[in-house]
Amino acid sequence: MTEPSVNKAPTDAQVFESQIIAIVCNWCTYAGADSAGTTRRTYPSNVRTLRVPCSGRVNPLFIMKAFEQGADGVLVSGCHPGDCHYVQGNFFARRRFAVFRALLDFLGVDQGRLHFSWISASEGIKWAKTVEDVTAAVHQVGPIRGKPGKRKLPVLPEPAKAPRKSGSAADHEAITKHWRKLAHELLTRGAVTTVLGYAPGPLPNQMVPAFIEKADDTARLAWNDLCFSGLVTYLAGPQKVPGKVAVLIKTCDARSLVTLLAEKQVAREDLTVVGVSCDGVKSESGLALKCYACDGEAAAVCDYTVTPAGVQEGAVKSGASRATAADPRDEQIAFLEKLPSAERWAFWQDQFADCLRCHACRGVCPMCYCGSCITEQHRPQWIPTSINEKGNTAWNTVRAYHLTGRCSGCDECTRVCPPRIRLDLINRRLAREVEERFDYRAGEAVDGAPPLAVFKADDPQEFIY
Amino acid sequence: MDPVTDNKGFRISRAELDKWVASLIESATQVIAPVERRGVRAFRVLDSAQELCLADGKTQWSPKEFLFPRTESVFSYETLDGELKLSDPPPTSNDRVILGVRPCDASGLACTDAVLGPDAIYAQRRARTVIVALTCPVAEPECFCASVGGAPDGTDGSDVQLVPLADAFLVRSLTPRGEALIAAGSKKWKAATDKDWAAAKAQGERVAHDMRGTQVARDWAKSLEARFESPAWRGLSRSCVGCSICTYVCPSCTCFNVEDEGSAGCGSRCRSWDSCSYGLFTLHASGHNPRPDQASRYRQRVLHKFSYYPEAHGGKNMCVGCGRCAKHCPVGLDIHEAVHAVMSKEASHAG
Repeated sequence: MTEPSVNKAPTDAQVFESQIIAIVCNWCTYAGADSAGTTRRTYPSNVRTLRVPCSGRVNPLFIMKAFEQGADGVLVSGCHPGDCHYVQGNFFARRRFAVFRALLDFLGVDQGRLHFSWISASEGIKWAKTVEDVTAAVHQVGPIRGKPGKRKLPVLPEPAKAPRKSGSAADHEAITKHWRKLAHELLTRGAVTTVLGYAPGPLPNQMVPAFIEKADDTARLAWNDLCFSGLVTYLAGPQKVPGKVAVLIKTCDARSLVTLLAEKQVAREDLTVVGVSCDGVKSESGLALKCYACDGEAAAVCDYTVTPAGVQEGAVKSGASRATAADPRDEQIAFLEKLPSAERWAFWQDQFADCLRCHACRGVCPMCYCGSCITEQHRPQWIPTSINEKGNTAWNTVRAYHLTGRCSGCDECTRVCPPRIRLDLINRRLAREVEERFDYRAGEAVDGAPPLAVFKADDPQEFIY
Repeated sequence: MDPVTDNKGFRISRAELDKWVASLIESATQVIAPVERRGVRAFRVLDSAQELCLADGKTQWSPKEFLFPRTESVFSYETLDGELKLSDPPPTSNDRVILGVRPCDASGLACTDAVLGPDAIYAQRRARTVIVALTCPVAEPECFCASVGGAPDGTDGSDVQLVPLADAFLVRSLTPRGEALIAAGSKKWKAATDKDWAAAKAQGERVAHDMRGTQVARDWAKSLEARFESPAWRGLSRSCVGCSICTYVCPSCTCFNVEDEGSAGCGSRCRSWDSCSYGLFTLHASGHNPRPDQASRYRQRVLHKFSYYPEAHGGKNMCVGCGRCAKHCPVGLDIHEAVHAVMSKEASHAG
């Protein structure tokens, strides 16, 4: 056996012995590590290896769990591309690792803690070298459970002024009139059994989802800039409305719907999609941030378009000239990315500390249609139920990761969050990673392959040793 | 909730109030009060009196987490050399004051007392906590305390009452613990006059009058339960997305989940908030779920507040009318409207 090279009692209080979890595939890296042993290569013993059948088996939750349980660093290693025992496992894994790495980076996990490599069964020398490098990198970052001093929290830059107002009362009234008429007609001629729209809620200045089943009730329908909810939420998952449904959708909701169609969650033939010419929805500061860059036009998926001028079949341009501006979140994301990772970590931990785990973000999300959420899995329990820094970080990380390449940016999660955690920034950062890396935008095409369900042989892998 | 009839008490300026709060902080009392941070007002432990926010309106969620934390360890375990060692959580080490609690929230804490009071961990924390209520100078759109037995100047669950007037605060103690809390500070305070108290009373009446909502009669508990099978429940909860925002911002919801967190070697048994709006809440090990849909879960929440609890606790509603559930519900479900809709067998909104 190889003599452990570093596992000795520290002689100095300053000495930090890191604990690194290496998740390695059975066929290549594990054999490579074995060959390092049989050829008597020495390397730091800080690494504990965990053998899995394939790097494609590595759910990013494993990485998260390792950090959560106190690992100072994680190394994931598998076969070289093209060498996978299961042919394609590591190609899928590569995509997942790329986005998960970007997510952890954005949440402030130092990049020195998370490493990936391809090491074949014959590369014992590479294994030893990789472990040396990874151990050195983790040592440089320091222990994961350091005592954080009271630090000044970064303050996000204020968003730029809104490029326009969220529509006029006259336009809202005109759209309401045409929409009621269309809904009435659809119900009367039996084209649909339920119309999903908005109606005034019990509180002042509040619009709530309305489920209209009788033509006479269509007078309750209305449209204005307070119609925040994404009604697409009611088309799939536990809240799914049965039967033939007509649904009113905004431009952002259309992207959610297209993704649901791509994921085969909605039967298109049961749906009548009514796009509304949308000037945007309100926020406390005027126009909602998600609306700055949106042109508000009906998407191609629409069967009808309602504009202030009337109802037209198909997706029709409204003719409105809406001023748009760059998405103001990009500046805030850039600000966070420029910070040292420890400050970014402090920023997000401060936000997550307030998370009540009410799961309203999940409830309103049109993409969260799973009958049983990962948070409800208890054997094993992937997400701690405890509502504290550990459980909240795990939940918010997984929520974001599960929306990778799927989130339409409707921002409902952020709107409803009682402590106003900036989930929109995380979602957008990941959407941009997917776009830059895989040239994919969620909600563009109903035949679009979800980016984490496919791969290219030449996907970028600059982050892998 | 007896109205205070004697007009004893003090009239102090904001500066005097801050000074008193600062002296409490200095005396190692933990002061928990509304703080506004990145656009979110919530109860937090004050580092200094400057952080205190006593502006109109409520915090995003109630202060109940300081008595019934979102998560706490009920005991921890450790195995050392094959022997199991159990330890109790450390007791609260500070005296604590929760200050700036709206009367609805204070009344909510009285409900959590009624339910969790016998719990040893809760009780020792509660015994070291004094509640300083802050009456409401305005009604927010979602408020309806006056229609469920509360009042914008109600005293239920409060030890000290602060009344914000235009240019000063009135302070009075309502319990011996409240008396003891203000004893040191009040030596230099000016006594409030009958005129001050008249202004306070008028303010309370005006706010109650401004508030939305028709009365929920005390004898509705039985009638509501009799409407258990009403078709209205389905219509009312149709848009419910199954989150737990209503129960987690609620000042009186007390349900929790218990799970062990840790490894075979060490860990703790954690008690965390849970919600009747989750399917998992009532899921049996067999796979059977007695509340299989959102309608039955929503009904449970409404009936617990307005029927089961009042029947078990002398008629007091468990809903204190803060309206947070209605304000924060992503899809606008309003418990006040729901009660009336079920009683009138119709559901106008969200139906």
